Amino acid sequence: MSLLSILGVLSSAIFSGTSLLYTTLGEVIDERAGIVNLGLEGVLLVSASSGFAVTSITGNPYLGILVAMLAGGLMNLVLGYLVITRKANQLASGLALMFFGFGLSALIGKSYVGVKITSLPKILLPGLAGLPPLYSSLFRFDLLIFLVIPAAILVWWLLYRTRWGLGLRAVGENADTAFASGRDPRLIRYQALFVGGMLVGLGAAHLSIAYAMNWTEYMTGGRGFIAVALVIFSKWHPLRAIVGALVFSAAVAFQLLLQSSGLQVSPFLLDTIPYILTLVVLIAWGGNRKHSAPASLGRVYQGSE
Amino acid sequence: MKNKSYLILAICLSFVVMLSACGPAATEPVTEVATEAPTEVATEAPAAEPCLIIGALYGGPMNDAGYNQAMHEAVMAIKTNIPCVEIIEAENVPDEAGATTTMQNMIDQGAKLIFPTAFNHQYPALTLSQSNPDVIFEHAGGWEMGANFANFFGEPPDGWYLMGVAAGMMTTSNKIGFVAAFPLGWTLTFVNAFELGVQSVNPEAQTIVSYTFAWGDATKDADTTNALINQGCDVITMHVDSPATIISTAESRSVYSIGFQNLAAQQFAPEYWISGTGFTLGGTLTWLASMVLDGTWTPIFVRCGIDDGCMAIAPFGPRVPQEVKDLVAEKQAEISAGTLVVFKGPIVDQDGTIRVAEGEVLSSEVMGSVDWFVQGVIGSPK
Repeated sequence: MSLLSILGVLSSAIFSGTSLLYTTLGEVIDERAGIVNLGLEGVLLVSASSGFAVTSITGNPYLGILVAMLAGGLMNLVLGYLVITRKANQLASGLALMFFGFGLSALIGKSYVGVKITSLPKILLPGLAGLPPLYSSLFRFDLLIFLVIPAAILVWWLLYRTRWGLGLRAVGENADTAFASGRDPRLIRYQALFVGGMLVGLGAAHLSIAYAMNWTEYMTGGRGFIAVALVIFSKWHPLRAIVGALVFSAAVAFQLLLQSSGLQVSPFLLDTIPYILTLVVLIAWGGNRKHSAPASLGRVYQGSE
Repeated sequence: MKNKSYLILAICLSFVVMLSACGPAATEPVTEVATEAPTEVATEAPAAEPCLIIGALYGGPMNDAGYNQAMHEAVMAIKTNIPCVEIIEAENVPDEAGATTTMQNMIDQGAKLIFPTAFNHQYPALTLSQSNPDVIFEHAGGWEMGANFANFFGEPPDGWYLMGVAAGMMTTSNKIGFVAAFPLGWTLTFVNAFELGVQSVNPEAQTIVSYTFAWGDATKDADTTNALINQGCDVITMHVDSPATIISTAESRSVYSIGFQNLAAQQFAPEYWISGTGFTLGGTLTWLASMVLDGTWTPIFVRCGIDDGCMAIAPFGPRVPQEVKDLVAEKQAEISAGTLVVFKGPIVDQDGTIRVAEGEVLSSEVMGSVDWFVQGVIGSPK
């Protein structure tokens, strides 16, 4: 295994981990406020298709990103209406949202399949200009990649260093207590869902506009569910989510490297490595009570009289 | 019960919210349908009864710049050549149950000739052909035959060999990446034909194969393409449904690409495109439809290549030097003349076992069930 292929795995992990990290950050915010969003897959698809469509119509990828964020936020508000205002079951509503997203994204994206768009420009990581082109091409990133770590830090700052974040976490732990201390749990949950949805929209925008540069039906291929698993993997912490997203994507890149290195192991088996890794981590961390989930995660807030 | 009605209300509401929120994105397809439908009726209502109603169904979207678009264009060529026919199309029919109901629906609308074009359409079509003896089924790329059921397809291996010749001359790292969906017989045959072409001009060069395990997962396509480029591949080619993502990714990394399925793939690589091979079956389908019209149709197992006009080589990209173009043309002439046969022995697999002995030729019947790679291919064939 050469230096090139090892750096290649790192580069691939950064490229494909970016959308996963944005999505995970979005879900961290939702779940910190006490709402499990199992419809992430549908939110991703609707954001990816509407962002791609707008990029194709206007020729401006930045406008596409903005629309994808907005679409993500609105999709999450749909879930919010169901689980906060109508007090529906979160898991069932999430799954309904997912199937709704499948259909809606197919409708939005229908006339944009196979369309060529102007993608985001790629900028070489500063200080690497001296490398040979084979190496430097590994570190030419688009704007959304450069912004993803700052976004994780921003989410951490919002959750742990602002009054809004304190209120949000309080609602996720015990909504009645939060209400007693003068906060409106419903409003905070709506806000959390909107902000979380916008982050998911950023992930979707990276997927369709910057990374794949293409829209196809169901193009997320289960990444929404991987993000839900990564939230548990990162123990509901935005900074640990960076590690989770990178490790998962590196595992994908690593199995692709193994496949093409001439190793005579069934590629079907190699393809499962990232998922097995996720399972192993979830099992290993499952028994650790100290960093367990927000206490009222998944619970309906009935309102305080 | 009360909860249920609220849920339905909420879903309807959310739908309205989404439609109004997504502005141009969501309204575009809707208005398109609205404006197209009346004009279609207007133009077709005064016209005479169609001479033949043709049904065509595709496994994916028919504007995918890949396989489904190639099939769609071939079917539409019938309409251009024989204007009195009427064509009913259905896209995104990937599964067998959907294929059965779609085809039954087409038969109910009076279709007398049906083109099921996806792998999963073969057996539903065969079953329907037995209960509808007056309807003719022409399936793409299968092997079954019946009284009113036949198969047609282009033969890509020759084109793949020629693409290999071009790739072998263009590579400088001697590593060529091949993104494949699944390790299936035909895919392995394409890889083998490609690598034999590569070796004929550059014995040092290797073809590295990676699988995505999906026909249309764009993100996995991008992951796999990047992984191959990150290992030093400087030419990328593929066998998936839509080449759009793979070619766009290669172009964005300044790496050469070779397309497959549809010649339209070139638009995604204005600079680093080498060439491509794709299906151009319009002539063949027109011929089949004209026989159905005459009443002279009989079940024929059709396999046709570049010389028959069923497959074509795409124009070369701007960076391809003249000597490469000349050599590809030369090899193409040799294949046409019969002096060059792609799968002519001796052919040795990755382990050194002789798969095709000296003086023998791999027959096209076994090409679909190949489970080995020729020497020079890196990757697992199963």
